[in-house]
Amino acid sequence: MTQEIDVSVVNLTKRWGDFTAVNNVSFDVPKGSFFSVLGPSASGKSTVLRMIAGFEPPTAGEMYIGGKRINGLPANKRPCNLVFQRLALFPMMNVIDNVTFGLRRRGGLSKTEMEKMANDVLARVDLKGLNERKINQISGGQQQRVAIARSLILDPTVLLLDEPLSALDLKLRQEMKLELKRLQARMGTTFMYITHDQTIALAMSDTIAVINFGKLEQVAPPDVLYREPATHFVASFVGENNRWDNGKVVKIVNDTTCQVDFGGILSNARMGEKLSPGDVIDLFIRPEMILLKPGVSKPGSTGEIKEINFDGSHSLIVVTLTESKVPLEINVKLQHTEETPEVSVGDTVTLSWGRSLRPAANAFLHIDRPSDGEE
Amino acid sequence: MLEKIKKYRRLWGVLIPYLIWIGVLFVIPHIKLFGLSFIDYRSDEITLGNYSKFFSSPLYRRVFLRTGIFAIATTMLTLAISFPTAFIITKILGKTMKSVVLLAVILPYWISELIRAFAWMVLLRETGVVSYMLQVAGITSENVEFLYHNGTIMVGLIYTSMLFMIIPIMNSLDSLDDSLIEAAYDLGGNFWSTMKEVIIPHSGPGIMVGSTMVFMLNLGNYVTVTLLGGKNSLWFTENIYNQFIVRFNQNQGAAFGVILLTFSVLLVWLSLKVTKQDMAGAM
Repeated sequence: MTQEIDVSVVNLTKRWGDFTAVNNVSFDVPKGSFFSVLGPSASGKSTVLRMIAGFEPPTAGEMYIGGKRINGLPANKRPCNLVFQRLALFPMMNVIDNVTFGLRRRGGLSKTEMEKMANDVLARVDLKGLNERKINQISGGQQQRVAIARSLILDPTVLLLDEPLSALDLKLRQEMKLELKRLQARMGTTFMYITHDQTIALAMSDTIAVINFGKLEQVAPPDVLYREPATHFVASFVGENNRWDNGKVVKIVNDTTCQVDFGGILSNARMGEKLSPGDVIDLFIRPEMILLKPGVSKPGSTGEIKEINFDGSHSLIVVTLTESKVPLEINVKLQHTEETPEVSVGDTVTLSWGRSLRPAANAFLHIDRPSDGEE
Repeated sequence: MLEKIKKYRRLWGVLIPYLIWIGVLFVIPHIKLFGLSFIDYRSDEITLGNYSKFFSSPLYRRVFLRTGIFAIATTMLTLAISFPTAFIITKILGKTMKSVVLLAVILPYWISELIRAFAWMVLLRETGVVSYMLQVAGITSENVEFLYHNGTIMVGLIYTSMLFMIIPIMNSLDSLDDSLIEAAYDLGGNFWSTMKEVIIPHSGPGIMVGSTMVFMLNLGNYVTVTLLGGKNSLWFTENIYNQFIVRFNQNQGAAFGVILLTFSVLLVWLSLKVTKQDMAGAM
């Protein structure tokens, strides 16, 4: 089955002088999907968006929307609309005039027709009875909806969203996150969402493109991105992870798995890239994938609990491994259920991981700590 | 009551210098002028004669009307020149060019209006620079007098008051988020519709403040108008000057002053009404 593609970007590059903001990026956004571009600040993700929207000309590369090449087409002629980070609603107009702004620019519709369309789209974003209000007289969440309605009324091939949730407070952000996903599912419009917030990207997207220093790291569905990161950066940026540096590959178990050694502790890990015995690697282990048992048992590695950080539904437990020749510390996320063992600081525990089919540990060739800070 | 006074005591402390300033330089002279305007200058009796003289004399009426219309027209021209200038400075130029152009706009105001008017005279008089250049270029063979025309007065007034239009408009444009302009384009707007629907409505208060200031400055200008327009520039302030200084008729001069003030206040009030703004919002 070939999927219809709404947005296609081929070898897109943007340079300002010596600085390369976007470096040879290519991806396809399937029709009707929720596509996120995830990256830390200044990774070039917003520049990608601004090039597609038509506010920055690319240095090189091609852009297509709905199969048509849009390079050189001015922003006001492109079949896409942008929801701005700070929404950019027109404060001098009321809600209805904001929503009909695009229709008025197109012309050819009577005032009543435009108002009917506006009321329809406002109903779809659950915003009724506020037509005459000024923008500063409605709440942040309502403004969000007006901004989306203002773009959706033009029936764009793709709706571009530049982190519009980041301006909201945490509670509202959680609500709008779910609502936005439902809205997208209901409308069937292709959404392209730019964010630095991985929880938003993981929760909402059908597909995520991770970008760092202007380069595309991986394009994958959220669960694949989480379990099988393609690069060192994705493994450290997406989700919480333990990171151990400077291990050694002992042997290759099969096509995807290898055995690695950290100071005498052996561990199975999924190979994030092609590895061979003797390679120096960094290991990433998901804290929630580690099995913790009180006392000493086999198989597993024994350690001593150093810290317990209670966090409601789970606790984050810091364990110092006692078997290793080098000091090794690991964070374990312990879900609280009826069967969760009671542990306290100083207890001896046994940890094991990498025994299920889902990859708990990922190994990549060692690189020195990069400056890309996690957010 | 005492509590309230205590609460506002600090505020009063801050306000007192300002109140003295306004009282001594604005309120007291205007009350005095207002009183003078109702007194006959020969008999010292209370009279409306000073006002009836204005309304019965076609000369005064016409000069007044001419001054008003010219002041309004000049204000509009100043706006037409200043708005694009302010827009370019705030929204288009890079950081360095912005300071350069802004400095170029402000620099002339470091010297007095009188000297600036003389500078224009050096350029525009019959034996002046412009006339000479035209002859060198072979466009004309004789000296050309550029001074003492209506156009010259307008040029002088625009030059004198432009800064007071540019600065408030720049302020209002500075507060306009660039993403609003981008949003207007994104939604299908073009240059004109974005100007009309987004940029100009946003800078309305700035335009209003600038226009009000420039209009008042034009209406009350004396130096530039007299120097560039000559003795017969027929500007209303000249009549006021003549009554006070040449004819020693303070009472008639006061009446003219009150009329001018009333007119300008009315016009400003009217334009605020028409543009649906209030003074506090505009300022």
